Amino acid sequence: MRLYLFCLLILVFPAAAHAVIAQQEMRPAIPANADYLIGEPGKPAVLLLHGFLQTRDFSTVSTLARGLQDTGYTVLAPTLSLNIPNRTQSLACEAVHKHSLDDDVAEIGRWVSWLKSHGHRSIVLVGHSFGSLQLLAYLSLKPDAAVKGYIGISLIEAQIGTAVRPALIAQLEGRVLNKQRMLVNQPLSFCRKYPSTPEGLLSYARWDQARLLAALKQSPVSARLIMGDRDSMMEHDWLKALEHVQTPMVIVKGANHFMDGAHEFDLLESTLKFLEDIQPASTR
Amino acid sequence: MKRPASFSIKQIALAFIIGLLVLVGLIGSFAAYQTRAVTHSLKLQSVNAAQSELEAAVQRLLSQTEEQAVKLARWDETRQQLVLPEYYTYWRDQRVYESGMLDSRYVRAALYNQSGMLLASGPAKTSLPARLPASLQPHQNSSWLVNETGAVALYHAFPVYSGEQRQTLLGHGLIRVDFMPALLREETFHFTDSSNVSLALKPGETLVASDLFSRLSFSARPDPDQLLFQTILSRTLIALFVLLAATALFGFVAYNRLLARPLGRLSQDIDAMQQGRFNPSPSRSQSIRISELENIRRSLYDYQLQLREMHGSLEHQNREFHTQARQDTLTGCHNRRAYEEDWERFRQESKTAPQGVAFLLFDCDRFKTINDTYGHAKGDRVLSIIADALVMALRANDRLYRIGGDEFATFLSRTTPAQAKQVAQRCQSLIDAAGFGDLGIIEPVGLSIGIAFCAADQLEHVDELPKQADIAMYTAKQPGRTRIALYGEDTERASQTLVASRETSALFQALATPGMIEMHYQAIHALPGRQVDYYEALARIRYHGNLIQPEAFLPVVSSRRLETEFDLAVLNQVDTDLSSGQLPTGCGISINLSAQSISHPEIVSQLLELSRHNARHPLMLEITETSLITQMVEVSTYLDLLRTVNYRIAMDDFGTGYSPLRYLVDLPVDVVKFDISLVNKLGQDNRAGQVVADFARMMSEVGYSLVAEGVETEAVLRKVESLGIAHAQGYLLGRPIPLAELAASLAAEGVEATCNI
Repeated sequence: MRLYLFCLLILVFPAAAHAVIAQQEMRPAIPANADYLIGEPGKPAVLLLHGFLQTRDFSTVSTLARGLQDTGYTVLAPTLSLNIPNRTQSLACEAVHKHSLDDDVAEIGRWVSWLKSHGHRSIVLVGHSFGSLQLLAYLSLKPDAAVKGYIGISLIEAQIGTAVRPALIAQLEGRVLNKQRMLVNQPLSFCRKYPSTPEGLLSYARWDQARLLAALKQSPVSARLIMGDRDSMMEHDWLKALEHVQTPMVIVKGANHFMDGAHEFDLLESTLKFLEDIQPASTR
Repeated sequence: MKRPASFSIKQIALAFIIGLLVLVGLIGSFAAYQTRAVTHSLKLQSVNAAQSELEAAVQRLLSQTEEQAVKLARWDETRQQLVLPEYYTYWRDQRVYESGMLDSRYVRAALYNQSGMLLASGPAKTSLPARLPASLQPHQNSSWLVNETGAVALYHAFPVYSGEQRQTLLGHGLIRVDFMPALLREETFHFTDSSNVSLALKPGETLVASDLFSRLSFSARPDPDQLLFQTILSRTLIALFVLLAATALFGFVAYNRLLARPLGRLSQDIDAMQQGRFNPSPSRSQSIRISELENIRRSLYDYQLQLREMHGSLEHQNREFHTQARQDTLTGCHNRRAYEEDWERFRQESKTAPQGVAFLLFDCDRFKTINDTYGHAKGDRVLSIIADALVMALRANDRLYRIGGDEFATFLSRTTPAQAKQVAQRCQSLIDAAGFGDLGIIEPVGLSIGIAFCAADQLEHVDELPKQADIAMYTAKQPGRTRIALYGEDTERASQTLVASRETSALFQALATPGMIEMHYQAIHALPGRQVDYYEALARIRYHGNLIQPEAFLPVVSSRRLETEFDLAVLNQVDTDLSSGQLPTGCGISINLSAQSISHPEIVSQLLELSRHNARHPLMLEITETSLITQMVEVSTYLDLLRTVNYRIAMDDFGTGYSPLRYLVDLPVDVVKFDISLVNKLGQDNRAGQVVADFARMMSEVGYSLVAEGVETEAVLRKVESLGIAHAQGYLLGRPIPLAELAASLAAEGVEATCNI
């Protein structure tokens, strides 16, 4: 009996010992946290970002994080606060959205900094879905030098439904200018109702396919894409558009937007392959 | 209190049914009582269940509220509002409901900052406290209830932290629940009557949730199963009672029809039987459906029929006995008992319905002699023939009674003396025509009939008719009569009625009293010298100073069969007279004696005793032959015996009666006394006188000493003397005189007057 308990502790302890909750205050009274999965030294750290309104506990992200950690990569999987203290739940579409892409990017920057503060000199940004967009938005600004690579999974633009984007942007810009604080209820991404502040919605609405392709093309780091050919979330010719920017891209046959099921292994394999490609250049 | 002696079977059945119903009622009451107890227990259980249910519901509501509070506290958007409350009202009024955090409009939520101040006031109708109670602990949940203008609100305050570590308090949340609607709406009460749930809370009063149950009032919901149970039980009890009542009623009717009524009929029949009113009508003969009762009824009816038959037979026998008791078995006519009853009734009826009535008394002449001579069988036959003849002679409705040995009587209503005589004559005619010769009876059988009549206006004397008829009948029996005598017409003396009655009394008194019979002595003269040879002792009865003659009392002696007693009395008196010495020595005494008395030992003994006077007074016995001497040998023997003691035997009243020649042949007779009827014939110069004279001469020649009786004229005396008759007596020669007078006469005449013997 004692021997059995000893073996069990040996098996469980390493994983527990290499997973911690990282927390930092993004804005006053709005702390945020992240899973910090410590991998093998010498391998780049992966900042793995969840999708739109999700948390790091979303299955695609959490599965991939464990897979990466299992293969020796240190993974930092934050949950964007979306201006909610210690957000732990997926934020409902109908909730009051007071966050903006700028806030998101700022938080990404802070987590990159946090990684750096923890000794990681080679950081690969991996994002799923809208997280890929937010990471690109971060990359489009002045990314930290430790960021060595970018992997976008199921990259998708900020969809606004049937609304005409320029008009919407103009309307939102007008509201912002006029300091109209009324919530704007405009479809965004998969949300049919998305009550948001005008500036917050405006920050997302500006990231259409073109801006996304441009950001991808202008990525300062090595960028890779993993897409599913059964992704119903993306526009009809999105994959073709992505091919045009000539960013290395793996299209997982049969995979949907979430790469779930057996495609999780394809996702991990492709991610690992890209990480291996990026690894030689990274150092810690 | 007097207890009734018996109860009818209907009363018993009624009492049994009433008792049964009472018992059922008691059982029903007990069941109802038990049901009420069970119901009470169930109600108590219902109350307990309702209380438990209500407490559970309240607890659930509290728990649910607490759960909602926990959810709200953990909800990211709650924390967001406490940090960035710009769009708090949207969260409060919309998000909490859209997100499902609060599932009811009865529940409101509000957020308070760390100071306990409301982030933003809500709508007026659902105003929430602008500030949390000061007593609220910052890090603890707290629940309380407030009566807000009639509506009870449940508040639950809870802390909201920045993270799960609960390190940084962001503020407070408050949930307000409309207590009663939430409690009653959310819960489906099975045991609690939701309409009666209330919380005793004054307006504005605050109550800690933990004290909630002490203020909660409620009532249990009527348990439909219990109500159904009660209803079913009540209906069952009522149905059972009704069924039992109906069964009891049916049973009573059936019992009444099958048992009580038949038993009642049987009882009535038995009562009727006891009272002799039983009438086995067809309606009463209906069969009874109870076999045992039917057997009893049949047995009873059979028994009753047998009883009736037996009763009928007994009645018939009684009638037979009654008839026989009132019928003379020999003659077939009514007997003396019937006579007495009928006479009493006839007498009463006659008094109430005035009419002429007659009493006829019949007596067979010399029946005793016939009976003694020819035997009782023939005597009985004679009586039967007489009865038959009389019945034929009487009118259709007249009854004939045999009131004595040979005495018959009848009484006629609505008649006259002439009609009564006609009836009597018809009777005699039929008797005369009757064939007594066929019986070998050569003597004439006659009937003496006495008639007494009472006119309609003299019915107060109807009681005297039998006596008058008796007198008339003896009158009829007197020699020379037509044997029919009507009282008052044929009886010579009007006072005969009294006499007859007096004679009878006198006779019986004389027989019982020595000395009342007075002997008168009539001289018997020897012829032709006409000197007194001896005296015939003739009996008289001295009664109340009057002298009753023999013709008055001798018929009574004869009819009463008192010959022996009378003869004994006469012998005693003669003995007394002779013993008195008043008669001169030598005077013979002739004593009359009936032929029947000769054969009686008392008479013979008395005669032997009397024979001691033979030395001074030669004694002679005169045997009357008015009755038939049946024991000729025995009489002859006694006469021989008496002759040995010097008695002389005389045949009295020769020429009348039955068989004087036979007596002369068979009996040791010394003297023959010619009856006055023969002596009177001597006075006639005709063939009858010649026959008597020749007969007397012949008697004298064969040695009989003859005495002529009733010599009343000189011519007869001379004739008697010419015929050589030795002695004569009669009024011509001397009347009977008393002993004292005789003695005095003899003393006056001197020695010459002494007797010739």
